[in-house]
Amino acid sequence: MLWTEKYNPQNFEEVLGNKKGKEEIIEWIEEWLTGNSPKPLLLVGPAGTGKTTLAHLAAGEFADFIELNASDKRSYDIILRTVGEASASRSLFNQGLKLIILDEVDGIHGTDDRGGIRAISKIIKEGHHPLIMMANDPYSKRIRSLKTKCNVISIKKVHTNSIIALLKRICIKEGVEFEEHVLRTLAKRSRGDLRSAINDLEIIGRGNKSITSEDLEMISEKDNVNSIFDSVRTVLKSKNPQRIRDAMRLKEDPAFILELITENIPREYEKKDEIVDAYEMVSLADTYLGRAFQTRAYTYWKYSYNFMSIGVALAKDETYRKFARYANSSVYTLLSKSRAKRDLRDRVAGKIAEKTHTSKKVAKEQFPLLEIMFQNDELAWELASYFRLANDEVKLFRSRKIKEPKKSGKKKTDEKKEVVKSSTAKAETKKTNSKPKSRKVSKEKGKGKENKENKKESKKEKKATGKEQKTTNSGLNKSNSEDSDNTPKGGSKERQASLFNFK
Amino acid sequence: MNEPWVEKYRPQTLDEVVGQDHIIQRLERYVKEGSMPNLMFTGPAGVGKTTTALALGKEVLGEYWRQNFLELNASDARGIDTVRKDIKSFCRLKAVGAPFRIIFLDEVDNMTKDAQHALRREMEMYTKTSSFILSCNYSSKIIDPIQSRCAIFRFAPVKGHHIIKRLEKIAKVENVKYTAGALESIVYFAEGDMRRAVNILQASSSMGEEITDESVHEVVSKAKPQDVRKMVNMALDGDFLGARDLLREIMVVQGTSGEDMVTQIYQEVSRMSIEGLLKGSVYIDLIQSIGEYDYRIREGSNPRIQLEALLTKFLLKTQEE
Repeated sequence: MLWTEKYNPQNFEEVLGNKKGKEEIIEWIEEWLTGNSPKPLLLVGPAGTGKTTLAHLAAGEFADFIELNASDKRSYDIILRTVGEASASRSLFNQGLKLIILDEVDGIHGTDDRGGIRAISKIIKEGHHPLIMMANDPYSKRIRSLKTKCNVISIKKVHTNSIIALLKRICIKEGVEFEEHVLRTLAKRSRGDLRSAINDLEIIGRGNKSITSEDLEMISEKDNVNSIFDSVRTVLKSKNPQRIRDAMRLKEDPAFILELITENIPREYEKKDEIVDAYEMVSLADTYLGRAFQTRAYTYWKYSYNFMSIGVALAKDETYRKFARYANSSVYTLLSKSRAKRDLRDRVAGKIAEKTHTSKKVAKEQFPLLEIMFQNDELAWELASYFRLANDEVKLFRSRKIKEPKKSGKKKTDEKKEVVKSSTAKAETKKTNSKPKSRKVSKEKGKGKENKENKKESKKEKKATGKEQKTTNSGLNKSNSEDSDNTPKGGSKERQASLFNFK
Repeated sequence: MNEPWVEKYRPQTLDEVVGQDHIIQRLERYVKEGSMPNLMFTGPAGVGKTTTALALGKEVLGEYWRQNFLELNASDARGIDTVRKDIKSFCRLKAVGAPFRIIFLDEVDNMTKDAQHALRREMEMYTKTSSFILSCNYSSKIIDPIQSRCAIFRFAPVKGHHIIKRLEKIAKVENVKYTAGALESIVYFAEGDMRRAVNILQASSSMGEEITDESVHEVVSKAKPQDVRKMVNMALDGDFLGARDLLREIMVVQGTSGEDMVTQIYQEVSRMSIEGLLKGSVYIDLIQSIGEYDYRIREGSNPRIQLEALLTKFLLKTQEE
């Protein structure tokens, strides 16, 4: 049996630290057992501080419990089904209550665990079951919506002295002789992670009669995963390479770490040349990430890590004595906000790329010029049908709906339409002003453009008819001119009718 | 019906392709001989790599070129596996109605080294039945084994007079009037990129009856990200957070690419220098930084981070009063 299991607390008293948190949990259990239904608990805190232990101790007070953790798939259906079993066996008077434990809720995956958070919210809303959830990362976006619905208990790191005391007790029970400073080092190195301290002790102590500082060498390189924001703080506050190196033991992707360090540089550093120097290091770090990706030689990552951590840290003249509020990168907010738009752009780029024998990237580079072309009603109509763009896709290039090109033979109806058109155009001008704009460029110009368009309308009319006559004369144009006369205007009567219905 | 002019006037035969005479001559020899080695077309955007590949395919393969010509875009295809699967199922069948089959792979330089090695094996496997045409912007990003298996053709940016000739022809067919000098300014902004030139021409003609120097300028200034000057000014005034937010807005929300951004920044800085807003030494320092970061964008993993770093270089500089 692992020492972490063997010395697992058997009751609440044995749990180290977090006195207040323990009391709250005990009260919460009592409320359930006396027939109330208090809000679910959300235990938030770093790894190895006793969240799971506390939840399991709580489980002992109920008739039964069900646990879902990150190794299970936790989609909407799975969560509801599992919990559904719990509710089926629920009896009156809150006896035979099943506790539901959801571990690592911040790790519920966006795509694999689709609807997971929604399912949890539903269970909370129903409120039939005692529910305890655990999360490591208090900043996680995934649990933001849950936090408001729960009683959040923050579980803090265990104090070094408490850890030393426990390690001593274990050594005595296991009959291992120890030097006090070795246990102190183990405790300190664990940074409040009791579980990792016990694990480390077991590695060097199990089967040994005594442990010395030499044994420490063996586990000195053991990875201790830090919380990302603590690490960012260390990088920006410290100038001690050793401390910074320790802080960079993170499980996150290097590009993400770089993004967060970068985001917070100007929040911490105040002098311009510090920002410049720090960003120079950021740039190098990114360059090596790129090289690693392109060559698949991930050994380049180590340079990247050094630049983004020690490099950025040493860019400051001295440590600022202030509290700077660090933030998640605004890029992520922008990305999620603009998602629909980016998807649209991608879809349109795909259609255009296919027709013009290019990649999506090259197609996107032509967007600004296409946007100008789409301001011309006639051309917009033709391009939209050429690229087979749907109405909502056309919106990428112009805010107004495309109007049917008119046939030159129908002057009379056209004139009537002109009147209707200008009035709708005005209405639209108002609309575009009141509505938050989707297209940035036209923001200031929206009004002016629209008016210009109205004036141009009659001019264009003449131009269009003139053009058609001329083009038929030119032999070079082959079938294209015929096409332009026939194809888009086929059933123009019906389409014109529908035009009047539009708004 | 009016197509986008870039497609409507895309040369359909090799002798229509302009500005790449030496290359075309050699390719026409392949057509005559009815066979060709693996080819690699390198060169900047819009110089005719794809057009040439399509035209060559049609002429070499003849009437049934469509069935025997596979066009793949390496940068869009999802990973090497799709590419390989597509190539495999295409190459497995013998060419019907044509001497062999052609696989045209665009933007190969966007493939990872691993994917390129996989591609190399495909190339070896099907040498008897198929020929490859690869195209890329930078041949330096292509692994040596692939380069050594290809006849490499370097496409140069299209010369100004070639572009003008082409634009004149299009304008004539489309019955578009233009003032003297209008086409010259299109050439100036196109920088040897025929696709861009034709798109500017069509955009300008969509704005009014006659293309003028002014309408071309209007198109080009409308078509570029609007806030770059503002962003540069903020950075020069020391407002880094403001400038950075604007950069993120332009890139993430408006979707401007890193390469476009660096070009825009370069152009704004040049313009400011011409307007006398930057001291000579400040100007040349900034150009040095811009050049360096242009390079790092290509080397690095995240263009936006590199551009943020470039913006910091403006913090220590000031404008002339």
